[in-house]
Amino acid sequence: MAEAETITAAKTAHKRLTIARAMADAIAHEMRTDERVFVMGEDIGPLGGVFGNTRGLIEEFGPERVRDTPISETGFIGAAVGAAMDGMRPVVELMFADFVGVCLDIIYNAAAKNCYFSGGNVHVPMVLMTSTGAGYSDGGQHSQCMYGTFAHLPGMKVVVPSNSYDAKGLMTAAIRDPNPVIYMFHKRLQGMGWLGTEKGATVACPEEPYTVEIGKAKTVREGVDITIVSLGMGVHWALQAAEKLASDGVSAEVVDLRSLVPLDRDHVFASVKKTGRLIVVDEDYKSYGITGEIIATIAERDISVLKASPQRVAFPDIPIPYSRSMEYWALPSADKIIAAYQRMER
Amino acid sequence: MADVRIPTDLWDDDTQAVITSWAYDDGTVVKEGDMIVEIMVEKSQFEIAAPASGTLHIRESEDAVLDRGAVIATIE
Amino acid sequence: MKPTIEQQLWMYKHMVTSRYLEESLLAVYMEGKTPVFNMGEGPIPGEMHLSNGQEPCAVGVCAHLTPTDVVTSYHRPHHVAVAKGVDLNRMVAEIMGKKTGLSGGRGGHMHLFDPTVNFSCAGIVAQGLAPAVGAMLSRHLQKKPGVAVAYLGEGATNAGAFHESLNLAAVWNLPVLFVVEDNSWGISVSKAQSTAVPRNDARAAGYGMPGVYVPGNDADAIFDAAGEIIERMRKGGGPALMELETYRLAGHFVGDAEGYRPEGEKEALQAKDPIPAYSKRLIETGALTDDSDRELVQAAHAKVDAAIAFGRESSYPDPEEAMQHVFA
Repeated sequence: MAEAETITAAKTAHKRLTIARAMADAIAHEMRTDERVFVMGEDIGPLGGVFGNTRGLIEEFGPERVRDTPISETGFIGAAVGAAMDGMRPVVELMFADFVGVCLDIIYNAAAKNCYFSGGNVHVPMVLMTSTGAGYSDGGQHSQCMYGTFAHLPGMKVVVPSNSYDAKGLMTAAIRDPNPVIYMFHKRLQGMGWLGTEKGATVACPEEPYTVEIGKAKTVREGVDITIVSLGMGVHWALQAAEKLASDGVSAEVVDLRSLVPLDRDHVFASVKKTGRLIVVDEDYKSYGITGEIIATIAERDISVLKASPQRVAFPDIPIPYSRSMEYWALPSADKIIAAYQRMER
Repeated sequence: MADVRIPTDLWDDDTQAVITSWAYDDGTVVKEGDMIVEIMVEKSQFEIAAPASGTLHIRESEDAVLDRGAVIATIE
Repeated sequence: MKPTIEQQLWMYKHMVTSRYLEESLLAVYMEGKTPVFNMGEGPIPGEMHLSNGQEPCAVGVCAHLTPTDVVTSYHRPHHVAVAKGVDLNRMVAEIMGKKTGLSGGRGGHMHLFDPTVNFSCAGIVAQGLAPAVGAMLSRHLQKKPGVAVAYLGEGATNAGAFHESLNLAAVWNLPVLFVVEDNSWGISVSKAQSTAVPRNDARAAGYGMPGVYVPGNDADAIFDAAGEIIERMRKGGGPALMELETYRLAGHFVGDAEGYRPEGEKEALQAKDPIPAYSKRLIETGALTDDSDRELVQAAHAKVDAAIAFGRESSYPDPEEAMQHVFA
């Protein structure tokens, strides 16, 4: 009897959430317990967010705390900066990371710098959540990842969940963080069927609130022969590649960065020191970004840990093409990761 | 025993729905009102709550394409 | 709304303080930069944007504000900072890049933050407008009092952030007063060359808010117009736009040869210096006597002198301190 109850209790505790639902749940919990938290963005009210991450919020908290905005990214993200400086905890959405061009100033020159410019006397505790990712033919202005762009500019933390457990914990951590946090979710990991979701992103999440520490990477698959480092959708490609490599007797370790700023260089280095081989996978553009940063981290710390030249699997330095065959030719994939491994072994 | 169905009141026409994600495994005990499954109709996602408390018996799996009113699970 | 004598004396005192501060800073700024003007040299390196002549815009509005009210400004901030009550010693120390500065030397003259009086400024034109709106959204959600004043130059009215911020303030009916300091010049480009309308109060209607134009660079006239608006805002009256005719008596930045100004313009403006004119008015009405004027001026100068001395005597930060305060 007791055993059946335990199994049942275990089953009720392990509800699977999509990333969209996980984000909304985390925000809702913080809004219930902290009056300072409020949400702004385009279509985040009754629609529940174009990507489902604010569903249920306006119904529970009302239109004062869950505000649809005009198409004024500088205006409402700037308002988030001012509200945060005045003691609130805004969660504001930039619908597509690609749109950062129209509001980059207020993010990188104000949100990210006001703490520093004030010598720490003024904080900007806001979360900017934004969608990223390609693979569903949305064209070159609606498919970018922009990871390198945000990570490169000092003063803002950047998190990139690959699954709903991390998504929920990172959102809670981001809201509680006294700094501006850029929360970059991938459209094809959200659980929105019309974007063709990667099912591996929808995993069990505790009901109670919890945090995932910002700045900590996670080894999501242990291995000894090669380290594959990635983030977001890339983690799923890496896991698929690792599965295929395993059937060829190659033991791949997969590291999910989870955060870009702060970057868990120690964790990545420890893994590469163990395996001696490195492939970095990034859906963002190849040059001047994440892949280069990870490789530089290893090389400058101790190049002797590398038994072979590290490889990069990233989106080429081209605008993202519309036509599906071209888009998929350009996107990283498990096969490209395996090909990169084979190049290393020659 | 209660049926979990594709709702009939969320859209008007004969467009079919697809199950995009079950929140629980078959055999899990759920409470009335728990969100247990997400379905998609064209571009809209809907979250379906359990109509009763009890053990969930899943009849249709993820990616199944169904008509309005179709039974996708039972709860006993 | 006419100022009381006390309010006039407050405004006069702050204009005198502000002007003497700018003159003192100019002297320090030029150290190390002659005979060759190298911007990176001297005890105040970098750019310097002085507010000589624009003092009425600061005092006429800030006379109605409390420390709880929020003010954001731009790259020409000193007169507004003084009028808002920013700590003068720490402000001068910050401008000199000292450890005792408002930000320990991390911000400099364009990035002055004093949260005790809710003042901040930025080096990107119009950047402070949306945060002013957000600060009032915050007060609304917290049910706490306050109004916001967002300063900008007339050139910044043509930036996208102006459009977005005004619309948003009006849509959400927030108490933000947008104050345009129209000194006619955006560096070397005149207002007539850059702006599709001769006066920005005309644009207010496009944003669903009242617009006021105050000519003459006169502290009392500005006090009057601002007072009415701010009183209305405190009662839930929503945002407003106010454009103030003013003059920049120095260049855009120190070192600006101002070749773009028409001949004789500068001299004509010097003759309209608002501070001697205000002093004359206060003496005529008996608010000031020659003696009390002298005393007031001496006290103001002493305060600035003390701040300059404080700045000079303070140490520079340890260079490694550059790594601090990136994150809270």
